[in-house]
Amino acid sequence: MDIIQMKNVSFSYQQDQPVLDGINLNIKKGEWVTILGHNGSGKSTLSKLLIGLLKPSQGEIIIDNITLSRETVHEARKHIGIVFQNPDNQFVGVTVRDDIAFGLENLQVPRNEMVERIDKYAHKVHMAEYLNKEPHNLSGGQKQRVAIAGILAMQTDIIIFDEATSMLDPKGRRMILDYMSQLNKEGVTIITITHDMKEAVLSDRIVVLKKGKIIKVDKAKSVLKDQETLEKSNLELLLPLKVLNYLEKENIDNEKVRSYLWELSLTR
Amino acid sequence: MKNIVIGRYIPGNSFLYKMDPRTKIISLFVLMVAVFMIPRDAFEMMFIGIGLIVLLLLIGKISIKRVYLGLRPLMFLLIFTFVFQILFNRQGPELQSWDLNYSFLNIIAAAVLVLFWIFTKKYVRTKILYFAFMLVGVIIILNQLSLGNVFSTGQLVIHEEALLIGFFIMMRLIIIVTLSTVLTLSTKPTDLNLGLEAVMKPLKFLRINTEEIAMIISISLRYIPTLLDEANKIMLAQASRGVDFAEGKLKDKVMQIISLLVPMFIISFKRSDELANAMEARCFIPGATRTRLHQLFWNRLDTVALVVSLIILIGSITVRVVV
Ligand SMILES: Nc1ncnc2c1ncn2[C@@H]1O[C@H](COP(=O)(O)OP(=O)(O)OP(=O)(O)O)[C@@H](O)[C@H]1O
Ligand SMILES: [Mg+2]
Repeated sequence: MDIIQMKNVSFSYQQDQPVLDGINLNIKKGEWVTILGHNGSGKSTLSKLLIGLLKPSQGEIIIDNITLSRETVHEARKHIGIVFQNPDNQFVGVTVRDDIAFGLENLQVPRNEMVERIDKYAHKVHMAEYLNKEPHNLSGGQKQRVAIAGILAMQTDIIIFDEATSMLDPKGRRMILDYMSQLNKEGVTIITITHDMKEAVLSDRIVVLKKGKIIKVDKAKSVLKDQETLEKSNLELLLPLKVLNYLEKENIDNEKVRSYLWELSLTR
Repeated sequence: MKNIVIGRYIPGNSFLYKMDPRTKIISLFVLMVAVFMIPRDAFEMMFIGIGLIVLLLLIGKISIKRVYLGLRPLMFLLIFTFVFQILFNRQGPELQSWDLNYSFLNIIAAAVLVLFWIFTKKYVRTKILYFAFMLVGVIIILNQLSLGNVFSTGQLVIHEEALLIGFFIMMRLIIIVTLSTVLTLSTKPTDLNLGLEAVMKPLKFLRINTEEIAMIISISLRYIPTLLDEANKIMLAQASRGVDFAEGKLKDKVMQIISLLVPMFIISFKRSDELANAMEARCFIPGATRTRLHQLFWNRLDTVALVVSLIILIGSITVRVVV
C-alpha cells in the first residue's frame, strides 16, 4: 500500500519560476527512500509540501489516505514528522526537556507517558544528561540530536530527515543511522534528504531531483552506481562503486571481487 | 551583553523555592495592595511592613545584596521623588529654612560644584551619598556665601509633611520592588510563566487567549539569549568592517544602531518564519487544547502563605477604615 502519493505536484514560490515541476512519487508503507539533489534542487521544498506547510500550486498529495487540504492537514500531521535542516530554528522549548515535550503536548499525550517518552528518546540520542540545558548552551550537533528526539518521541508512521545529521560527529551519525534502520525494520516509513552517499546506501530506493524535476527513481543499488545521474546532481560515487563500474566496463568479471566491493560500500 | 538574564533567577532552597508560582504571584499582588492601603500617616504600620519584609528575606534566605541590586536601577526615581517632595510640598509646620542668595558669582560657584560632581561621580562608589554631598554643598554655597552683587534671594524651606511623605513614598516603592525581586529571584522563568498563565485564566472570559500569551512569553524567554548572541556576532562583523561601537558622536551612534538593528530584524523575521514552520509541523494549532508537561502542585505551604498574605491585607484595610 502506498502511504505517500504525490500526483503531478508542482510548486513555485514566485510565479513562473517553478521550484518543483510535475512530481509523481509513490512511497510504500515501511519503505526507506532517500532524496538526492544539488543545492536548490527543491528537496526541502518537497518535504515542506509533504507536511503541508506549503500548498502545491498543482496536483495533490495523499498521506496515509488523507488528501492534504486546509481542513485535513492537522490530522495528516499526526502521521508524519519532519526534522528540519536548521536545528536552531526548530528548538521551541526553553530547555531540552521542554522541547522534546512540545510535540507531545500538542498531541495531547498524557503527562505520565510524556515523561516516559522524553526519557526514552533523550537516551536514544544520548542527550539524557542535558535535559535541563537551555539551547544557547548546546552545540549545533547537540541541538540536532534534540530535534531528532523531539520528532521520534511523537512516534509518527512517517519521518522525514532533512539533512538532519549534517552536524553530527561520525559516531553520532552512525548511531542515529543505526537507529533509523531499527525504526525502519519496525515498520516506520523513512525519507532522508542528504548529500551523504553513505546514508543513501542504507535506503531501499533513491529519488534524484534536479532543478525541481525527478530525473531518476530506482532501487538504491542501481542509482548508486549510476555515474551519469549522480554527476548531474553534483554528487560523487562511492569509491568502491567507482571501482566496480570500472571492472564492469573493462569486462573484468569476478563475482567475489564484485560482492566484496558492494560490501565495502555498505559498511560504514 | 551576555550577562543579561531575564528574571535573574538564583537557585537556592528555602520555603520560597518550594512555593507554587501561582501562590507567589497572588501573594505579591495581595501584599502590594496591602502596602497601598497603608494610610499616609500610619508610620507604625510602615515600620511593621518593613520589619515583615526583612523577616521574609531572612527566612527565605534571600541575600540583601541581590535585593539591593534589584533596587539600584530605581535609585534615581527614589531620590527624585524625595527631592521633589522636599522642594514642592508646603504642608505641615516648617522644620528648617535657609536663605539662599543668588548672585552671578554664587551661581557660578554652584555650577562649578555641579560640574565637578558630574565629572568625578564615576570614580566614587557610593554614588548616592556623593549626590547628597553635592546637593548639600550647593545649598551651603548659596546660603553662606554672598559673593558680588546679590540680585535676588530665596528660601529653601523643609516642611514636616514633605519629609514624612517623601519618606513614605520611598518606602512604599522599596517594599514593592523588593517583593517583586523576591518573586523573580526565587522562581524559574518557566515556572513564573506557568504561574502567570494559571493566574490569568479568568481573563479567558474577556476573550483574551491566555495560553497564547504564555506561549509568546515562553518563546521570548527561549530566544532572548539566542538573539543577544546574534547581536554580538553582528557587532563583531560590523566592527571588522570598521564600525566603531565604543566611540563616536551622536550621528555615528545612530549609524551604529542602524547597522545593528537592520540585520537583527532580517534575522528575526527569518527565524520566526522557520520557527512557526517547526511548531506547526509538530502539530501545534493555536488555541487548541494541549496537555502540559509542567504541572503545578498546591501544597499546605501555599495555603499558609496565601492566608498570611490575606491576613496582612485585611490588617492594613482595617487600619485604614478604622483609624
Ligand atoms: N521561502 C522561499 N522563498 C522564495 N524562494 C525560495 C524559498 N525557499 C527556497 N526557495 C528557492 O527554491 C529553490 C529550492 O529550494 P530548497 O530549499 O527546496 O532547495 P534544497 O534542495 O533543499 O537545497 P539544499 O541542498 O541547499 O538544502 C531554491 O532555488 C531557493 O532559492
Ligand atoms: Mg534543503
